[in-house]
Amino acid sequence: MTSAPVTNTDETHTRSATDAAWLVGLLQAGDSFYPTGSYAHSFGLEGLVQQGVVRDRATLRDFIFLSALPALRHTDLPLAAHAWRTFGEANWPRLGELCRLSSALKTARETRAASENIGRQRAELVAGLRVHPLAQEYLRRASTENWPHSAAISAALEGRVLGAPLTAVLAGISYSTLASLLSAAMKLLRLGQNAAQSLLTEALAAMPALLTAAESTAFDDIGWFNPWLDIAAARHEIADARMFIS
Amino acid sequence: MAEFSGHLSLHAATRAHGRTVLAAQSFRAPYHLSKPYWDADTRTLIAQVVNPTAGILSGDQLQSDISVDQGAALLVTTPSASRVFKMKTGTATCRQQFHVTADAWLEVMPEPLVPHRGCSYRQTTTIEVAAGGEIFFADLLLPGRVAHGEAWEWKSLCLETTVRLDGELILRERFHQAGDDLRALAALAGSGPSACFGHAVLIAAARPADAQWRAAVNALHGDGLWVGVSVLRRGGWSIKFVAHDGIRLRRGLREVRKILAVHFPHLACDPRKL
Repeated sequence: MTSAPVTNTDETHTRSATDAAWLVGLLQAGDSFYPTGSYAHSFGLEGLVQQGVVRDRATLRDFIFLSALPALRHTDLPLAAHAWRTFGEANWPRLGELCRLSSALKTARETRAASENIGRQRAELVAGLRVHPLAQEYLRRASTENWPHSAAISAALEGRVLGAPLTAVLAGISYSTLASLLSAAMKLLRLGQNAAQSLLTEALAAMPALLTAAESTAFDDIGWFNPWLDIAAARHEIADARMFIS
Repeated sequence: MAEFSGHLSLHAATRAHGRTVLAAQSFRAPYHLSKPYWDADTRTLIAQVVNPTAGILSGDQLQSDISVDQGAALLVTTPSASRVFKMKTGTATCRQQFHVTADAWLEVMPEPLVPHRGCSYRQTTTIEVAAGGEIFFADLLLPGRVAHGEAWEWKSLCLETTVRLDGELILRERFHQAGDDLRALAALAGSGPSACFGHAVLIAAARPADAQWRAAVNALHGDGLWVGVSVLRRGGWSIKFVAHDGIRLRRGLREVRKILAVHFPHLACDPRKL
């Protein structure tokens, strides 16, 4: 058996180095070690557990495929895709619109606050760790123009600062969202690490098609509807006992 | 079959005697307006919008624009459910806009929307409230003609709601899901095969008794009804509810209005008075 000769031109070497730079940056940002505060949130899952909807691996799997993935597909990923493009154009009025839309799409206070707190923390981390004018200008405008922060929009900002392509940024958001959710599920349910990893693997396998669809979602088509999750999140605000902030 | 390009335009204002009147009105089929009724007890004008045709059909394009001036109080309701019929081809659209000025009150409480099997319908609701204006907007959705064994069988159903307070976006909701997806979610949540949805949006200045009414509304949760109240990003509240059938859904909304009426007296107005 013969193999093709290995070529390692200066051009491919440079591209590999550039790709590696944003890749390690996204890996860092997607790790639970990265202090965005997401570990303190269940994003409505604890509310659904309290309501008896999510009880075990089977109902958790249903929740992921019937709710978490569609919410990513129709809300967070399109928001991030629009923000990633808008950061590229430095279209600040449009970014303000996206920040307000991200907040307005979340009717439950805790869900909205989770996104805003994680978004603020991540934007400040980007500005502090990577000292990039785009991040600094975003923080300045968000503060002076009173934009609500958004986890999805800050993820897009970090992707732009790292020079990561859109699909990679969306893949990073998908991974960290699902990993956070399953990490919370392991604390809330009788769910072991292997069971959580098998669900994560299954959910991530669905992501390529979702990313493609999310990338082409029009601004006016952003949004998704799960009244049970919204109600559970609203009732979580008044729960007698809870483990997570949201 | 006739296609309608209907419009409804209502403008409520106060007169020297202090009552709210319809200072301007205009409508075209399939919209029809009953004679408005002044409810002296709650100082609210009730306007009942009637669709004298069977319901919404392919090709219908409905547009309504309702505004309320300073000092006026208006309740807009419908006497029966809005049925959206099966469409072999084409689609129907409804665009509704509500404007509430400072120191004005508007309640919008139509009977539920009932999408039939194979219908294709898009409804766009835009609510603009000036600072100091107040609105209670309730939207109810049944999954279909449940008594006929028909639920979640629309071809396409898109319901969009946008609320701005003093020009700033504070709520955006977009429902554009396949019936199968909602049926599966309802099964997961244990809401049954004929789950119905309601969303009431209350835009109002904060009141000392907010915690009190909120606790009372939250206490409605159970007995076939899911209820959750949460504060919007500015100036108001979202009250969502899911019931196992339409009767429980309507009862839930009546109970919510009764609780709120203690603090928002216009909500004591009986929409079925006409």
